[in-house]
Amino acid sequence: MIKKKKWLSICLVICLIGGIGGAAWYRQKKIEERRMSLVYIPKVEDSTNDFWKALILGTKMAAKEYNADIEIKAPTEENDIERQNELLKEAISEEPDAILFSPSSFTESNDLLKEAKEKGIRISFIDSYTGEKVQDLTVATDNLEAGEKLGKFAATLLGPDDQIAIVAHVKGVSTAVEREEGFRKGLGDLAKNIVEVVYCDSQYEKSRKLTQELMEKYPNLKMVAGMNEYSSVGAARAVKAAGAKDRIQVVGVDSSQEAVQLMENGVFKGLVVQKAFKMGYIGVKETILMLRGKSYEKDINSGCELVTPDNMYDSEIEKLLFPFNTLKLS
Amino acid sequence: MKNKNLSARFIGRFSSIQSVIFATVAVLVLSAVVIVTGVSMRFTNTSIFENSSQYTQTIIQQMNQNIDSYIDYMENIAYLISSNEDVQDYLFSDEVDNEGRYRILKQFETILDSRSDIRNVGIISKSGRMLINNGSKSVNHDLDLNTQEWYTQALNSPEGPTLTSSHVQHIISGERPWVITLSRGIRDRSGSGEKEGVFFIDLNYSAISGLCDQSTVGTKGYAFILDAKGNIVYHPQQQQLYNELQTENISLIMDTDDDTVLTGTGNNGKLYPISRSDKTGWTVVDCTNVRELLSKSRQAQSIYVLTAVVLVIVALLFSRFMARSITLPIQKLRDSMKKVQEGDFSVSDVVVDSRNEIGSLTKSFDVMTHRIQELMEQNVHEQEQKRKSELKALQSQINPHFLYNTLDSIIWMAEGKKNEEVVLMTASLARLLRQSISNEDEVVPIANEVEYARGYLTIQKMRYKDKLEFQIDVDPSILHIPLIKLVLQPIIENAIYHGLKYKESKGLLIIKGFPKDGNAVLQVIDDGVGMDEETLAHIYDRHKVNYHSNGVGVYNVQKRLKLYYGEDYGITYESVVGKGTTATITIPGRQEGQK
Repeated sequence: MIKKKKWLSICLVICLIGGIGGAAWYRQKKIEERRMSLVYIPKVEDSTNDFWKALILGTKMAAKEYNADIEIKAPTEENDIERQNELLKEAISEEPDAILFSPSSFTESNDLLKEAKEKGIRISFIDSYTGEKVQDLTVATDNLEAGEKLGKFAATLLGPDDQIAIVAHVKGVSTAVEREEGFRKGLGDLAKNIVEVVYCDSQYEKSRKLTQELMEKYPNLKMVAGMNEYSSVGAARAVKAAGAKDRIQVVGVDSSQEAVQLMENGVFKGLVVQKAFKMGYIGVKETILMLRGKSYEKDINSGCELVTPDNMYDSEIEKLLFPFNTLKLS
Repeated sequence: MKNKNLSARFIGRFSSIQSVIFATVAVLVLSAVVIVTGVSMRFTNTSIFENSSQYTQTIIQQMNQNIDSYIDYMENIAYLISSNEDVQDYLFSDEVDNEGRYRILKQFETILDSRSDIRNVGIISKSGRMLINNGSKSVNHDLDLNTQEWYTQALNSPEGPTLTSSHVQHIISGERPWVITLSRGIRDRSGSGEKEGVFFIDLNYSAISGLCDQSTVGTKGYAFILDAKGNIVYHPQQQQLYNELQTENISLIMDTDDDTVLTGTGNNGKLYPISRSDKTGWTVVDCTNVRELLSKSRQAQSIYVLTAVVLVIVALLFSRFMARSITLPIQKLRDSMKKVQEGDFSVSDVVVDSRNEIGSLTKSFDVMTHRIQELMEQNVHEQEQKRKSELKALQSQINPHFLYNTLDSIIWMAEGKKNEEVVLMTASLARLLRQSISNEDEVVPIANEVEYARGYLTIQKMRYKDKLEFQIDVDPSILHIPLIKLVLQPIIENAIYHGLKYKESKGLLIIKGFPKDGNAVLQVIDDGVGMDEETLAHIYDRHKVNYHSNGVGVYNVQKRLKLYYGEDYGITYESVVGKGTTATITIPGRQEGQK
């Protein structure tokens, strides 16, 4: 009788341990298999802007690979802070697991982001960040490094007294501030030759006009440096239109079909290209790792590369400039 | 020595035959099942793995052939167009024939319309004349064609078409797609005879990815293509690889000469069946998770394990049942023997159905115990009979000396003319005799015993005249209580002969009877010479029988009382030398069979 009881209790204990183990395993599996919902709000979605196109493609491909749904809510114009905040508000009301955000403003979205945080929505910053540390993780190009690369390359093109003008995108935005700072650092002593910094508000046309004005104002201008896609391409257009591509060197940040064409044409002497696809992909990947409770990195530099007419047809640079879109195939 | 101890101790743990049988069968069955299951699992695993890797190898070779024939088809197109008269005319003649140009564009259009996997098709001459697609796309004039591999290779390679790896096609501005380009140099047949032009056809990945996707094994398997230098031609995760977000074991595949490469170990391994094409120089690779390959094997294995578990459970239950069925009769026999050993014969009938050795053993045991039981009962009966007849003999006797002495006393009284005393004595003697002879019962009411004592005392008082006086004081409530015969008289006789007889003055004997604590107590009190402690200690001894008494001594009375009523009852003596003796008889107040 006592023996039987002993057997019974051993069986019971085994069953109990098995049950608990199974339940824990099942729970963990559930968390790992659950489809995560994400919203990504870029600064802009624009068919002419390859940077944002590649970045959004990266987020979509990573979402597909890591079992998540991603919704892209994008303003049609960069620097439209009001629209971006509306989209952010809309995203918060949908209560996704996480919002990936590329803030156009350093200050204006903070209240909304805090609200999202209070609702338990995780925040990941991609490309840019804001003044408040509300984010759970950040994936961005090290813009100081990007600016410095461009500056160092620009320095090789210039004589000691050549005048330089900078066309930046938006005053006060983190990317603009850091790239300019890096650019000056890269130029070294030549930084003293910077005659003016203008802001184009991320518009091709405004950039073109500002550059035209700069060329008139400084007849001996030797270099125009754009700080993003809009400012670089706008500046290049102006230089090309003036037929001054041999006299004025144009360097810039980010690439597009037009920028590549302008480089082939000999207007652009150098472009620092951010790894946009990688940025978007890693942003989503790390966010999902965070949501699933695995180890993730909080601050990631996605890197950048200098493209010149000499290396633009290299396989490695082609891989960077032109996304291989496998999403379209399947 | 030590070993023997050890093994003895080990076997000692299985103290019963049942557990020995159970353990032996269990161990044998368990090891047999484990070995068989292990061997068959291993065998299944190996054979399924070999089958699967052969299967994937076949698939990848098939895929390679498909890609070869696909490229073959494209080469045919290239050959057809290169040798076209219109193309020759358009590229190399001094004047452009618009009709010929139109016919070429028409042909290009037909090709593009019929095949969605062709991105661009076109012809270019060294002099800069070119026709691309339907002629409406704007050509990228900023592009220096001499930087483009597909163009230079087609011009420089000896004969036949060349094939590029994946690259970006820059020739149309605003569109820079990733393509694979097949190009072919065109000789100026009417002029120099050298290669003066290039035909090219850009393939997008829809056909190749379709071919690769068909060839995958399992949900996690995929196929990819490498060129002769190890660059990726097609990979389902090409963009991730290009951005260093994924890695692929390219060097491993390029370095090996085997048909199949296995990386990792066990279920986490990956199997890479490889097929190389002589035509394209490409290497086609299938990547398969070993886990998925072995999923069938795991299914089979889980069935084996399940079967093994069921078998073991059944075997354990069966062995337990077997062990029980063998040892249960033995256990029954053992239990019954133990009881018999303790003297309990009531359970000696062991019922065993089995007709084996144990069955016959049990039957013999049953017969034996029955025989012993009969013998013992017989023995007890005989002893009882003997005791009864002895007792009867004792009880029925009146000491002849007492009778002679009494009769002598009567004679002397008759001679002295003491008529009244003669009558009293004779009557008393007659009553005494009647009582001792007539009553067949072993047990009589206390009243009878008291009356018997009174008769005896009357006779003795008359014999000893001045020497003896007696009083009888018995509570009427105990008179009906049964008492075994001949208890009181021997005690009184003892008191007279050993106590009062040696007293100088007149002695007094008191008989008291009263209930006490549910018992009945009879006391014989004399004020004779008493006894010292040593005499008192030996009062129950057997030799204390003298010829005066009728042979029923204190020893005898005590023994009979204890036998009849139990150890709690009997006679106790108290005595003080010179003062007298008190004998106390205690018997239970309520007895079975009492009315």
